[in-house]
Amino acid sequence: MKLYVKIALFVVLFIAFSGILAALIMFNKKHTDTAKAKPDFVVTAIVLQKEFEDNEAAASARYINKIIEVTGSIVSITRSDTTNTNISLKTGNDMSSVICASRSIVDPSKFNAGEEITLRGECSGFLMDVLLKNCAVLVKRK
Amino acid sequence: MKRFFLFVFFLTIVLAADAQKYMTKNGYIGFFSHTPMEDIKADNNQVVGAIDIATGELVFQALIKSFHFDRALMEEHFNENYMESDKFPKSVFKGKITNLASVDFTKPGSYDVTVEGDLTIHDVTNKISAKGTIEVVSGGINANSKFKIVPEYYKIAIPGVVRDKIDKDLTVTVAMKYTPVATK
Repeated sequence: MKLYVKIALFVVLFIAFSGILAALIMFNKKHTDTAKAKPDFVVTAIVLQKEFEDNEAAASARYINKIIEVTGSIVSITRSDTTNTNISLKTGNDMSSVICASRSIVDPSKFNAGEEITLRGECSGFLMDVLLKNCAVLVKRK
Repeated sequence: MKRFFLFVFFLTIVLAADAQKYMTKNGYIGFFSHTPMEDIKADNNQVVGAIDIATGELVFQALIKSFHFDRALMEEHFNENYMESDKFPKSVFKGKITNLASVDFTKPGSYDVTVEGDLTIHDVTNKISAKGTIEVVSGGINANSKFKIVPEYYKIAIPGVVRDKIDKDLTVTVAMKYTPVATK
């Protein structure tokens, strides 16, 4: 086999292999690990909800798709199915809270209403409440 | 913002009325697609749902971005390519139980219902009808339904390359656990 044929063969194989590898990596891409990710914003639940209530468009542009570290007092804990737990945080408005969805909470009974908690998650937007997904619990204080 | 105040306004009316209204902010809507090539499942546990047992009216609201897929890449494609969730962040259903008389809200039990209404996804509204159950339990009302939707009816373009991997009609599952809206 001529040398240039070998080189050409090697190049083609290399490209094909990297292509497959890249596709596999992309396909198996994991969700952002919010326990380790650097937050774009560090806020309290009260401030975050207020910003959405005062100006939803501006707050949406600022926070949606961003990683937010939010601190607040727990209003309620809802285990929605076997894997998802929603933790609602108290805000200045009784009818609106910050609801954090987490799939990393194994034992929701460890959390109680009234406790102060810090979570980090990705902001999905605002319905009646500010919604965060993919949340990780960082600190829990009594 | 305006919508939020409308919702608050709506809730205030609800609060003023007696306990005819039930709601949840932790409702579930999921969809499932099965093809020989791949099974795809997405879950949303942050659905707002309200039901008025006097009139049989139902409302659901969900953020598209709240749908969770096991594969991050799929979630990304779902949001960016198919649902365009930055442009159309919400999905809404407004409808009514058509056979309200067959549900006895004072008696615990499971009742079969049919719900008809307008489903808005991707800024396209279609009339849909679905069968489901209303379950009267102590302290609340549970609502469950399963129905099919066709993505193309909502102008959701799925490229030919992946069309075979996604079911022609997706099975949507709705599961709500309503509690009475607190009267003050």
